[in-house]
Amino acid sequence: MSEPACWRLLDTGLRRAADHVAINRVMLNAHQAGKVPNTLRFMRFAPCALLGFHQSASQELRLDYCGAHGIDIQRRLSGGGAVYCDPDQIAWELCFDRRHLGLGAMADIASCICGAAATGIRGLGVNARFRPRNDIEVDGRKISGTGGILDGNTVIYQGTLLIDFNVERMLKVLRIPAEKLTDKAVASAGERVTSLAEQLGYVPALDGVKHHLANAFADEFNIAFEPANEIDAVEQRTYREALAEIDTDEWVYQHYRPTAEAPTLEGVYRASGGLMRVNVSLDTRRRRIRQVWFHGDFFVQPRRTIYDLEAALRGAAVTDVKATIERFFAHHRPDLLMLAPRDFSNAVAIALASVGAPEVAQ
Amino acid sequence: MGVVRGCDVPEALFYHIDNNVWARRESDGTVTVGVTAYGCALCGPVVSCSPRKPGDAIKRDRSCATLESSKWVGPVKAPVSGELLEVNAVLSDTPGLINQDPYGAGWIARLKPTNWDGDAGELVTGADALGRFETRMDADGFGSA
Repeated sequence: MSEPACWRLLDTGLRRAADHVAINRVMLNAHQAGKVPNTLRFMRFAPCALLGFHQSASQELRLDYCGAHGIDIQRRLSGGGAVYCDPDQIAWELCFDRRHLGLGAMADIASCICGAAATGIRGLGVNARFRPRNDIEVDGRKISGTGGILDGNTVIYQGTLLIDFNVERMLKVLRIPAEKLTDKAVASAGERVTSLAEQLGYVPALDGVKHHLANAFADEFNIAFEPANEIDAVEQRTYREALAEIDTDEWVYQHYRPTAEAPTLEGVYRASGGLMRVNVSLDTRRRRIRQVWFHGDFFVQPRRTIYDLEAALRGAAVTDVKATIERFFAHHRPDLLMLAPRDFSNAVAIALASVGAPEVAQ
Repeated sequence: MGVVRGCDVPEALFYHIDNNVWARRESDGTVTVGVTAYGCALCGPVVSCSPRKPGDAIKRDRSCATLESSKWVGPVKAPVSGELLEVNAVLSDTPGLINQDPYGAGWIARLKPTNWDGDAGELVTGADALGRFETRMDADGFGSA
């Protein structure tokens, strides 16, 4: 094996979201210009809701709650869905030349990086795995979400890792597929995410978490890290300018779509294997599934099957729901007891029929 | 129509291989730009497209639109400099057209070029483009679409 390449290791600590996004911007520009090395950065966020680059705050967030509780709203440079972040999470990002990995396809780059991050988490004693397209999960429950930016040959790929987590706070910030914050909704959300603290039975030290992640990236990419205390002088010079652009309503609210175009729909379907309920968050303009939750009195083994199916349906076109469900079950072959794959597509079709989108069942 | 490892590469178009964008000079002198089929194969299904505003002055190799696929975001870098005349409005609701028909209905933007002859000299076309895509696919470890 060749001599490891040297990358910069930065820890920019606990800051407001706008600060971290501004650092993203200056690092991206400086790296493209060849002025800073490949970098692994760790960071933590003051309480905030982070939108994906193309998302609309009004569709994704409970803005009244955020305003009343001092939760910053900010927009990432990367794609994907909105997340709630606070100091109980650690975020990591890699900024590097994509040619370092010798991979072109974005799915392959994501798989490679997430696989390494999962290895790092397993080093802490938690059985984490990469779940396509962009999650890291433990027994089907999400512990880390990721997303990326590709600009020229520069990749920034970032993820959050739940150290400890308050599910109820997340539900109050994000518009997830439950109209009311009932105990059931909280429990249902709690089944779908987990944290290192829950898995380990104690809150791990942040330094240990960073150590395991950095080691895993170093092994996977054949690199060694050179710690740096702060961002480079060339990044410092443009940081204020970047922050002045990003720490504004013009940046945060640059994409607007009305809440009415992202309704949460409910369906109840009586299958021979039990009563199935489904909550569907729908993108009515693009006719795509934003998010779906299955719950109710039915049994599937293993239980993670439901969470993996929900992940597979995220972003699916309404017309592809039935085929996506069939492909999923053909591949996974769980124990469905009295259920059939069509029961899941029938339940989704019932929910969608309420807004005149019944084609899923065809 | 040229095809490289399952990706269409119409020989009549002009390409920036690194940025995976194409340009076509129209009979009225304007230039239509879009993403290559190979670029689509690398990024997967496009779920969002947000173009710059008509009237904007776009420099060559600077973004004329931003795409998102599978939580990845990246710019569509203009292959030529010019004034942005028109964006493909249907992509707002149907961004998947970029994957389905990258050289047709999935076009991204139309520009009034400021220096077509100069900028086109930096692009590749015809059989040369096929060879350059092969080289890039090798470097990317790309098998076939």
